[in-house]
Amino acid sequence: MKLEVQNITKTFGEKEVLKGISFSVEGGKALGLLGRNGAGKTTTIRILMDVFHANSGTILLDGEKFNPHKVQIGYLPEERGLYPKRIILEQMVYLARLRGVDKKKAVDNSRKWLKRLSVEQYEKSLLETLSKGNQQKVQLAATLVCDPDIVILDEPFSGLDPVNSQILKDVIRELIAEGKIVIFSSHQMSYVEEFCEDIVIINGGEVVLDGNLIEIQKEYGKNQLVVSDEVHSREEFRDILSKELPDCAKVTGETKEDLIVKLQEGISKKQFFQRLAELDSVEIEHFETYKPSLNDIFVEKVGE
Amino acid sequence: MKKFITVFQFELMSYIKNKSYMVTTILMAVLLAAVMFVPRVVDISDMLGIEQSTEEETEEETEDSEEEKAKLGIVDASGYLSSAKLLEQAFPSAEFTYMDSEKELKKAVTSEKVEAGFYVVDDQNYRYYVVNREMTDENQIIFDELLTSIHKQVYCQQNGLDYEKLATEYESGVNCEEEVLGKDAADNFWYCYALVIIIFMVIIIYGVMIATAVTTEKSNRSIEVLVTSIDSRYLLFGKVLAGTVAVVVQLTLIIAAALVGYACNHDAWGDKLDMLLEIPTNVLVAFAVFGIGGFLFYAFLYGALGALVSKTEDINKSVGSLQMIIMIVYFAVLFQLQNPDGMIMKICSYLPFSSYSAMFVRIGMGKVELWEVIVSAVILLVSILFVGWLGAKIYRMGTLRYGNPVKLSNALKSLKHEE
Repeated sequence: MKLEVQNITKTFGEKEVLKGISFSVEGGKALGLLGRNGAGKTTTIRILMDVFHANSGTILLDGEKFNPHKVQIGYLPEERGLYPKRIILEQMVYLARLRGVDKKKAVDNSRKWLKRLSVEQYEKSLLETLSKGNQQKVQLAATLVCDPDIVILDEPFSGLDPVNSQILKDVIRELIAEGKIVIFSSHQMSYVEEFCEDIVIINGGEVVLDGNLIEIQKEYGKNQLVVSDEVHSREEFRDILSKELPDCAKVTGETKEDLIVKLQEGISKKQFFQRLAELDSVEIEHFETYKPSLNDIFVEKVGE
Repeated sequence: MKKFITVFQFELMSYIKNKSYMVTTILMAVLLAAVMFVPRVVDISDMLGIEQSTEEETEEETEDSEEEKAKLGIVDASGYLSSAKLLEQAFPSAEFTYMDSEKELKKAVTSEKVEAGFYVVDDQNYRYYVVNREMTDENQIIFDELLTSIHKQVYCQQNGLDYEKLATEYESGVNCEEEVLGKDAADNFWYCYALVIIIFMVIIIYGVMIATAVTTEKSNRSIEVLVTSIDSRYLLFGKVLAGTVAVVVQLTLIIAAALVGYACNHDAWGDKLDMLLEIPTNVLVAFAVFGIGGFLFYAFLYGALGALVSKTEDINKSVGSLQMIIMIVYFAVLFQLQNPDGMIMKICSYLPFSSYSAMFVRIGMGKVELWEVIVSAVILLVSILFVGWLGAKIYRMGTLRYGNPVKLSNALKSLKHEE
C-alpha cells in the first residue's frame, strides 16, 4: 500500500493554509508528520479524511484516487474526545459501527483492543470515571477498533506514563510490522526518531523538508564534527579554535560538553585532525562525526 | 442509511437511558391517569360545581344570615326609601341607619361608624360614600338596581301605568334552544389553548436539548472522531430525528394517559372536562402532523445553531433569536385564539414558522378548507427539507470551528463563499 499526497492546497476565506503539500508513505513504514503549531498538519489530516475538501491537488492510494470511506482509517486526534457520560464498550461499538464494522465484530474488536491496552476491566464503566491515562488508552482502543489499514496518530504519547508508553510503543511496532500505513504526528521528537523511517516537516503550509530520516540526519551532519579538549574548558577551547585554526573549521554550536564545528571548504576531516593534533596546548578528547538529532534539524528548519 | 440508523439508535438510547426523561414520562402519564380516576374514589362534586340537593343549600343560607350584619348609613332626601322593607329586601345582610344630613353621613363613614353610606337625591341620583373601596364591593350595583326599580314605579304611577303588569312582561325573558351545527369555538377553545401551550413548551425545551447534544459533542471533542467516520449530515439528522421520536413517544404517552383516563371516567367527572379533554380526532391528527412538522423545522435550526458554539454555556447566545421567533408565534396565536378566521391567523397558518400551532387552531375552531390544510402541510414539508439541508451545511461548517461563537450571518456568508 502506498499513499501519495500530491500538491494539496487549501484556503479558508482569504487565508491560504496549505500551499502545495506533497509527501508519500508506504505500508509497513511510519511517516513522521512534523511542524510547529498552526503549520497545517491537522488541516492536511482532515483533508486526507475528507472532512475538508482541498482547493487543488490529489491524493492517491496505490495509484488510484483515494476514497477515505472505502478504506478503514483509524484517527487519534490531538484533541481527545469521546462521550464522558456513556459506557465505554457502548461508545466503542458505536464508533466501530460508524466505520462500517458489523455489530458482532464491533463488540469483539472493542474487547480485543481494550484487552490489548490493559483496560478491559473498565468496559462497563463510564468514561469520565477513568484516570486520564486510562481514558487515553480507551481513546487509542477506539482508534484501532475498526482494524484500520491507515492509522493516523496525533500526539499519541501525551498523558501516558512510561509503562503505558511502552505498551503503546509495542502496539505501534505491531501495526508497522503488519504492513499498515502509520502517520505519526508529534512534538516529542524522540518518539518520531524511534518509529519513523521517513519524515515530512511542514512550515507555514509548505513542506520544508522531507525524506528518509537517517539520510537527512547524515546530510545535516555532513562536514560537521563534535570535538573537545581534555585540558581546556569548552569556552577556552572555542577561543583556541577560532584563533589558531579559523581556516580549517568554524564553531557552529555546542553540546553539553563539546563543541560542534563545521569544516571550511576544501578541508577534510583528516587535515583538520592533523592541524588540531599539531597544536601543543591541545589534548584531543573527542573527535567524531556530528549526527544531529531530529530536534536540532527541526529547530534549524522551522525556528524563527 | 445503515450508518444513519446507527447514529439514530445511539442518540435515541441517550434519551431512553436519561433518567429524567424516563421519570418525567412515566410519572406524568401515571399521575394524569390517576387524577382521572379521582372522582370515582373521592367525592369532588363541590369542586366541580355539580348541583347538590336543596337541603344543603338552605343550610348554607341560614349560616349566612347568622353572620354579622354590615352597617350602612342612608340619608333619604327624596323620601322614596321611607319603607325600610325595600332596603331590607335589597340588602338582606345589612343593617341601615337613617341619618338627617349629608354631613352627618360623611362623618359617620369617615369615623367608621358605618362601613358606607348612600345619599339619595331623587329617584335617579344618589351619592355613595366609602372610605376604602374593596374589590368585591357590590353595594353600588345593588343600590343601582333598587333605585332603578323605584324610578320605574314612580314613572308608572305618574303616567297611570300598571307597574306589576309591565314588570312581568319586561322581565319575562326570551327562551332559546341552541344547536351548533358547525364548530363551537367556545367548546374547542380550551383544548386548543392547552395544545398551543404544550407544543410551544415542547419545542422550546427539546430544541435546546438538541442544540445541547450538538454542542456537547463539540465541547468534549468527540466530534473530531465522529466527522472523520461519517458524513456530518447523518449526525445532524440522526440527532434531530431521535429527539423527535423521543418527544413524540413522551407526548403520546402523557396525552393518551390523560385522554383514555378521562374517557373511562367522564361520567364521574360529570363531563366537566369535556372542554379540555374531549378532543376531536381531526384536531388531534392535525396537532400530530403540524406539531411534528413544526418540531422538525425548529429542531434542525436548533441543531445547526448548536454547532455554531463550542461551549454549552454559549448555547443561549446562539439560539436566542430563534427562541424569540417561537415566543412571538406563541403570543400571536394565543392572542388571536378567539379570532381563528382573522387575517393574522390565516397568514400564520401558512408560514412554516407558525403553522404548527396556527393551523390546528384553525382546524379546531375556525373555518378551513381541506386544500388550505394540504397547502400549508406541503409548505411545511418543503421548509423542513430546506432547513434540514441548510442545517446540515451549517452543522458541517460549524462542527470544526472552535473558539468564539460564530454568528449566524457569518455562517451563512461563509457557506455562500464555499459554493
